[in-house]
Amino acid sequence: MIRKNFWSGLGVAALAVILLTWIIPTYGGSGFAFGMQPQRLATLGAWLILGCSIVLTVVSAIALKRRGESIVAIPDLGHLWHQAWPFLYVLGFIVLIDRFPLTWVAPLLIGGLLLLLGERRWYVVVLTAAVPTAGLYGLTAHLMRIGVV
Amino acid sequence: MIGFDAILNSFAAALHYESIAIILGGVLLGYIVGVIPGLNRAVAIAIAIPLTFYMSAYAAIAFLIGLSKGTAAGSAVSAILLNTPGEPSSAATCLDGYPMASSGKPRKALKVGLLASVIGDLLATLLLIAVAIPFASVALKFGPYELAAILIFALVFIAGMAGGSFLKGLAAGGMGVILGTVGLDPETGAMRLTFGYAELMEGVPILPLVIGTLALAEMFVQLDEYRRNKDASVIKLGKNADDDLSYQEFKGTLPTILKSTGVGAFVGALPGLGPSVGAFMAYGLAKRSAKDPDSFGKGNPNGIAAAEASDNAVIPASYIPLFGLGIPGSVSAALLVGAFMIHGIQVGPLMLRDHPEMLFTLFSGMIVASLLMLAVGWYGLRLFARVTSVPPHIVISVVIFLCLAGIQVQGYGTFGLVTVFVFAIFGYFLKKFDYSFVTFLVAFIVTPMLEMNLRQSVILSGGEFSILLERPIALAFVVFTVLMVLHLGWTSYRRWMQARYKAKQV
Amino acid sequence: MKMKLLGTAVLSAAMAVGVAGQVQADDFPTKPLTLVVGWGAGGSTDIQARVLANVLEEELGQPVNVVNQPGAGGGVALARLANSTDEGYTFVFGTSMTITFGPLSTETTYDLDDFRYVAGVTLGQSAIVTGENRPFGDSWEDLVAYAQENPGTSYANQTALDRMIIEYIAQREGLDLRIVPTSGGAGMAPLILSGDVDFAYSGGTHSGYAETGEMPVLLSLAEDRLVAYPDAPTLQEAGYDINAAEIRVAMVPKDTPDAHVERLAEALKAATEDERFIEVTEERILMPVTWMPEEEVTQTLRDQVEGYKALLEELGGLPEDEE
Repeated sequence: MIRKNFWSGLGVAALAVILLTWIIPTYGGSGFAFGMQPQRLATLGAWLILGCSIVLTVVSAIALKRRGESIVAIPDLGHLWHQAWPFLYVLGFIVLIDRFPLTWVAPLLIGGLLLLLGERRWYVVVLTAAVPTAGLYGLTAHLMRIGVV
Repeated sequence: MIGFDAILNSFAAALHYESIAIILGGVLLGYIVGVIPGLNRAVAIAIAIPLTFYMSAYAAIAFLIGLSKGTAAGSAVSAILLNTPGEPSSAATCLDGYPMASSGKPRKALKVGLLASVIGDLLATLLLIAVAIPFASVALKFGPYELAAILIFALVFIAGMAGGSFLKGLAAGGMGVILGTVGLDPETGAMRLTFGYAELMEGVPILPLVIGTLALAEMFVQLDEYRRNKDASVIKLGKNADDDLSYQEFKGTLPTILKSTGVGAFVGALPGLGPSVGAFMAYGLAKRSAKDPDSFGKGNPNGIAAAEASDNAVIPASYIPLFGLGIPGSVSAALLVGAFMIHGIQVGPLMLRDHPEMLFTLFSGMIVASLLMLAVGWYGLRLFARVTSVPPHIVISVVIFLCLAGIQVQGYGTFGLVTVFVFAIFGYFLKKFDYSFVTFLVAFIVTPMLEMNLRQSVILSGGEFSILLERPIALAFVVFTVLMVLHLGWTSYRRWMQARYKAKQV
Repeated sequence: MKMKLLGTAVLSAAMAVGVAGQVQADDFPTKPLTLVVGWGAGGSTDIQARVLANVLEEELGQPVNVVNQPGAGGGVALARLANSTDEGYTFVFGTSMTITFGPLSTETTYDLDDFRYVAGVTLGQSAIVTGENRPFGDSWEDLVAYAQENPGTSYANQTALDRMIIEYIAQREGLDLRIVPTSGGAGMAPLILSGDVDFAYSGGTHSGYAETGEMPVLLSLAEDRLVAYPDAPTLQEAGYDINAAEIRVAMVPKDTPDAHVERLAEALKAATEDERFIEVTEERILMPVTWMPEEEVTQTLRDQVEGYKALLEELGGLPEDEE
């Protein structure tokens, strides 16, 4: 956990620096305002993040050193893939939903995930995929009358 | 003055089987939409508005009241069982509801939530009927100065109680502040952090943000856990003998419910704060005044009770400025304005004079809806508590689909889907690295209101702080906030010293 | 009456389903239409649009679905419509301000020429309002006189358009105003009712206070005097040559075939004569129904844009020039 704190603190601090030096000054908006400068709150927020994350990093670095643990622990690649694929799966379907109506894609989305998770009983897969899809169709085409999404 | 007869008549009308059926229909529709993660009140409204065209004014309003209560109570169910709140205001319910449900007591958690929400709702409704309307103008004493002071107070208060690492909580809050400023600058009209997307002009849309950070991210976390534990025995949430609410336990939560109802009613009576602020403030208060603050966040029934009672008390209380002054104080109040508009009634102070029967029918309808909600929820929870015995991989697959469907159905389009995905990743990291998503969410919700009121104060006062001396309420809250900060600083310093002392001894 | 309405709706829905079965090659519309509302469900634009959809459905013989695409004051819906190749099957019902002043005040991916304006069907009732018991009473002249003597008189603005108008007025009359931003009628009303702010812009909230007199109107921002406040002068009558009248219009992308636009216009014309649409607009939302055919509404919008550009120049350059 302490190592996690160290690295997440470092990452967040880097993010805050990017926000402060590039994103907020460039995209934060400008113009004269009597009440409050458009960028002021965002800048304040970024300084808050920076301050907290630096303290967090330093504190956890000291703790790591005291315990004599190494700062770097290379994460297992397999483990990383294990955590990443659900995101890629959903992202892939978002791309599909962009092209085709969700109502068509939905059975694949649900059924595919079930199969990947190790469900092998076909009736479970079919039912779980079909019922929510039918519900979505009924909701959009008939109840809300916004057409098939 | 309205005769007693009129009031009796209105109750008789509300108790007629036809109106009960209509309210029940509204409650059921709202409840079902609320229970399903990803769908929320906006979907229920879109279904309901065409239906209400063909109803009488009374039926339409009764239906919409039922609907708005149903969604509020329904979204607590998914918050407790799946850790995926339907409305942002139920996020506080997750904090203790989900840990309790996942420790094998889903029914108990649902019952505490339901009872708290019905009691909070009923008491706030009675308050609205009994005293509130003549005193609605008190809300006008809370101008920009007061609201700004209250919002700062709320922000500090909630950040202080959020638990976990204080530093990480503040960092998450900072992120919430930054995201809360996205959109058109209210004063200069400058685009802030929109990167040219018209969709971001009114700020990061709250629904995709909430569904992403809370619901979809939670599904990714559960997916991770599910696959980790698949080879070992799957967490089986079987029947737990302890899984019911005893009268004794219920009595234990009553003081919390009453206090939280008070907080909710206060927040609701001020136009513009809304149920999220109310729910989190009540949760913070309950935690602060508890003897065992450390048990909060681990399935303390008082946590559920506080969040739900306050969340639901805000809604009737937000009708106080609506009927007293004509100012809709919340989303659900604005929804009622729409319903009245369809039927040619202008909501406002004149209602009491021109349509007293309407007003009292409305009140009696609210009470009936509350009671029906209790019945629907009571039977519903038996059914929904079983969700925990559905195999998790089925729940996860379906909920992921529902999150995406909710965005599509509400017309956010591709932009909304991408937003949901981005915030799912963001929420995943918040959860994995234990940054407080509560502080993040509250900061995000409060920032736009705070910024608006702060600017209004600065402009109206011409930038002079001495104005505070003329506004005692605002001054009081500023003083509270300073005391709060000092207190927080002092307690955390003491804790730190104690921890160091202990560490040295060991 | 209610039952009859329901009956007609059911009947027309049934008819629509029946017609959808037969394919008619060039007879617009041959499939369901989508009416896009640039605001959330439950607001006045949304409610009006849903009644309009019901009426159009009967006129066109096809289902008309209502879809909300909220964001950017109606701008998100327009940005998407500009890219639509749906030949009029998807159209937006919205307010003129989004298309006239929107592209001037913010960066948008569309402008006035990207759309055809099928018709204008409703006139807005926006106004400059004040509260009860103000030192300057409830007349515009007295307010101007008061503000000239009292620097720091406060005004609550809601949109970029009303901000520009008030800045123009302040420049002309030599006023030193404190302009407070606020959001929507729900944000403005407490400031006016409590007396925290001296006067304000109001989109339509004031109509609800017509009878109590809690929110007197100083100036009408519509082309004519307001229905509910016949005593308040219009902008032009008060001597400012600005046309800021808000019109609710139906818009389609610019490359929509003429035949489709004509068919839609016919249906909209019938809608403006339909009892239900008139009732919900005039008696509920309190805005007058009107009929402005394509040419007239396009010309009016064009004139408004020219007027705003001139005004912005007078105020110190178009926003684009500032950078």
